[in-house]
Amino acid sequence: MSTNGTPTSNGKYALDLQDVHCYYGSFRAVKGVNLKLQEKKITAFIGPSGCGKSTVLRSLNRMNDLIPGGRVEGRILFRGKNLYDPDVDPVEVRRRIGMVFQKPNPFPKSIYDNIAWGAKINGFKGNMKELVEQSLRSAALWEEVKDKLDQSGLGLSGGQQQRLCIARAIATQPEIILMDEPCSALDPIATLKIEDLMRELVKNYTIVIVTHNMQQAARASDYTAYYLMDKSDRAGELVEYGETDQLFTNPKDKRTEDYITGRFG
Amino acid sequence: MSQETQPSDIGQYPEGDNLKHFIENRKRGGLVWRVSFQIATILAILALIALLYNIINGAFGYVAIQNKVDPNSLVLAMEENQMLSSSGTVSSEDDNELVDGIEGNPNAIGFFGYAYYNDNRDKLKAISVDGQAPSRETAESGDYPLARPLFIYSAADVMRENPAIGAFVDYYLTNVNSVIEEVGYFPISDDLLNEATTAWSAAAGEQADALQAYTANPAEVSDHDISISGSSTVYPLTRQLAIQFRRAGFQGGLDLQQTGTTAGFRAFCEDMTTGISNASRPINRAEIEACESNKRTPVEFRVGTDALAVVVSSENTFLENVTKDELRQIFTSAETWSEVNPDWPNEPIERFIPGADSGTLDFFAETVFDRQLEALTEPELIEILKANLSTGLLRRFDAEAPLVERSQPELVDLVLERVVEQQVVQSWELTESIFDRAEIEETVAAIPQGELQWRSWLTPAFLVTPQSSTPELAGIRTALFGTLWVIAITILVALPVGVGAAIYLEEYAIMVANPTLRRINAIIQTNINNLAGVPSIIYGILGLAIFVRAIEPITSGMLFGVSDPTTANGRTIISASLTLALLILPLIIINAQEAIRAVPNSLRQAGMGLGATRWQTIWSHVLPSAIPGILTGNILAMSRAIGETAPLVVIGASTFITVDPTGPFSKFTVLPIQIYQWTSRPQAEFRNIAAAAIIVLLILLLTLNASAVLLRNRYSRRLS
Repeated sequence: MSTNGTPTSNGKYALDLQDVHCYYGSFRAVKGVNLKLQEKKITAFIGPSGCGKSTVLRSLNRMNDLIPGGRVEGRILFRGKNLYDPDVDPVEVRRRIGMVFQKPNPFPKSIYDNIAWGAKINGFKGNMKELVEQSLRSAALWEEVKDKLDQSGLGLSGGQQQRLCIARAIATQPEIILMDEPCSALDPIATLKIEDLMRELVKNYTIVIVTHNMQQAARASDYTAYYLMDKSDRAGELVEYGETDQLFTNPKDKRTEDYITGRFG
Repeated sequence: MSQETQPSDIGQYPEGDNLKHFIENRKRGGLVWRVSFQIATILAILALIALLYNIINGAFGYVAIQNKVDPNSLVLAMEENQMLSSSGTVSSEDDNELVDGIEGNPNAIGFFGYAYYNDNRDKLKAISVDGQAPSRETAESGDYPLARPLFIYSAADVMRENPAIGAFVDYYLTNVNSVIEEVGYFPISDDLLNEATTAWSAAAGEQADALQAYTANPAEVSDHDISISGSSTVYPLTRQLAIQFRRAGFQGGLDLQQTGTTAGFRAFCEDMTTGISNASRPINRAEIEACESNKRTPVEFRVGTDALAVVVSSENTFLENVTKDELRQIFTSAETWSEVNPDWPNEPIERFIPGADSGTLDFFAETVFDRQLEALTEPELIEILKANLSTGLLRRFDAEAPLVERSQPELVDLVLERVVEQQVVQSWELTESIFDRAEIEETVAAIPQGELQWRSWLTPAFLVTPQSSTPELAGIRTALFGTLWVIAITILVALPVGVGAAIYLEEYAIMVANPTLRRINAIIQTNINNLAGVPSIIYGILGLAIFVRAIEPITSGMLFGVSDPTTANGRTIISASLTLALLILPLIIINAQEAIRAVPNSLRQAGMGLGATRWQTIWSHVLPSAIPGILTGNILAMSRAIGETAPLVVIGASTFITVDPTGPFSKFTVLPIQIYQWTSRPQAEFRNIAAAAIIVLLILLLTLNASAVLLRNRYSRRLS
């Protein structure tokens, strides 16, 4: 009935969304999303403001639970288990499915502690120094900060801060990294660095990114999902989901075409 | 672009002159507000200055101190006692015995009136003191240290109104030199006598001739009375002349007293009960002023010189001159001559001195031992204490701290407190002290044994002495300890509970989905906001009902077996602390909530996004970021609690305790209570110490606040 679907691929699925509805109190913000996220690929969520793409992203690691009244219906299967089953602890989910936020938000602590804290509270046993270095190297930040690990994370530039947040997320060794408009607060050079980093990271992680920037989605992602608000009930819905090249060059849905060609609104 | 082409006429903005006026009006309006705010600020600052002025004004200033016992006479009595009790000292009221003792004994030394030495020049040798040999000339000029002038004082008006007095003074001056050597003093030179006579003539004025006629025939003024008092040194001389005056025919009343020079002047100048005053020192300024305020101008008549001779036997070869210090040693502590001066023989000193009742001994002691109480050694001070205090009292002081182990200043204080019984009889504020100095001096001069002292009521002793009913002995030790205990426990209770409540309300309550619970949370929040405005006395009543009465077994410590036997009720530090904790709880909660709310949400998301639990996120990120704000609230709350009086009055803080609080279950008092109690006392001195206590309270408050601010700044720096 909808254009929800899954592009054919040989890869495995990292997450399987089945008829997901997101609510804030009594308001349904997102309705009927069916989506299979490909493992070790970058999937971009695009769409105009208020279309529910961020809401869907947050529901993937139960961050919506933190919003008073936030609630999800439907099933999101991760390793064959529904994330919203009563016996699933959201704290456990969030370690395995990490998140990077729109605005860089390092802790007001040293660079070292920024990374070590997440590991510590999750019970990491091992060489903490090694873990910090490895995480910073993965986030392509090591060379820039290796001499000032004891300085505050807030002293870094915006792009560096965002990479620190990525390193922090990597340190808990997640399988999936969710990125909520990670470059919207950054300049173009810092943005390109993050995109390069994403291409590097996707070798080991599944990445889901929400972006307003269609060039970014086109440049960086393997798959793209387009969301749009249904004007009748103001609920966001998934309009089209497919390989990025195919979706941008040959959209199946008229609404998608309008959006990517700039005729929307 | 012209006005005419404007498409519509719905209105227009001012242009040209209108615009100028419009802008000026707007500016004027702003100026009025600005000036109003400035005035309000200045008023607030003025009020603050007035407050500080008031406090400081009370805490410093002059005081008039009255000694029940003259400290100099104490020192003198002690010195005389030392002289009399030294080994090898013979004392006698009979000068002949002294002469007999010294005569022919090269190791003997003694002193008595110069006249008496003069009679025995063949057997004795008078020695120089401080290089001055005793003689009529050195005595009169005052060069010889053991000499003092003798005066009588009267006034022109007195002599004119009472011809008997005028005539007696004239008679005195005419005949003094014929009797003075008989009494034992030096006659004064003719020059000085002439001066005195001239002064008399000037004072008598037109009546001089008439008065001189009476001098020749005193019987004619027998319808008048003569009243004389003053120096006991001059007394025998005046007495001798009074006897002769009566023999010459005077039959009126003749009252002659020996009261001492100072008391004599008081009777003469202030009470005006005498017409003539005997004096062994010149009148001082304050006494002249006192006289003149009663319209009496004192006239001075020098009548003789008193001098002591320090004598040794004619056989003594080593002693020619001594210093005053050597004299002191010779007559008190030294056993042998060589102890005083190595050049002198190693022979025991044999001392011959006049008896204890003799004025000569007093004069010698006064002149030679011109030491102040503060200059005495510890054993000497202990001697004074032993001579003047009951054995029971002494034993008590010895039990508190052995006297021999106390320091010299401590002993001086003890002597001042217990023997001299120094008392503040009047006190002045700082401004009065600065601007009305002359008036104050006059007032003090009128106080017998009065002394003017600059006093800061805020002294180190004030901090460490407990409460007392005598303001100058009272301190704030108990109140200071009480305040520190109460505040410490209050914060210990209120801070964790308050911050905990704030965390719950800010971090957990908002996540509650159940509508009933949500409503309850909202009610709690509203109540907390309202509780911050409840009058503090209500908390006092609450504290009385709950902590003092209902859970008395706990707050009195009985349950823990540590109750203070003197209280045996719930009016303890812990009750006060819990009451104050309740009082400041809303304050701490509200401020902590604000601080927690101000922590950016992104920090919480970052923490939770990493797989941290809510509590881990709060503990590691939210609380550290909120601490500066929480501490600010804590400062405000602490300041409030330190200054609270009303609730503590209600729950029954003691107003008078002298025992330090020993723990949470002690009875207590706090600084505001102490201040309140002192300000309600009638004596002015209590207001002075209340002002000093307020300064202590302010300093305590500022210190606590400053440390909280420092702590806060340290946190803020670490976070940035």
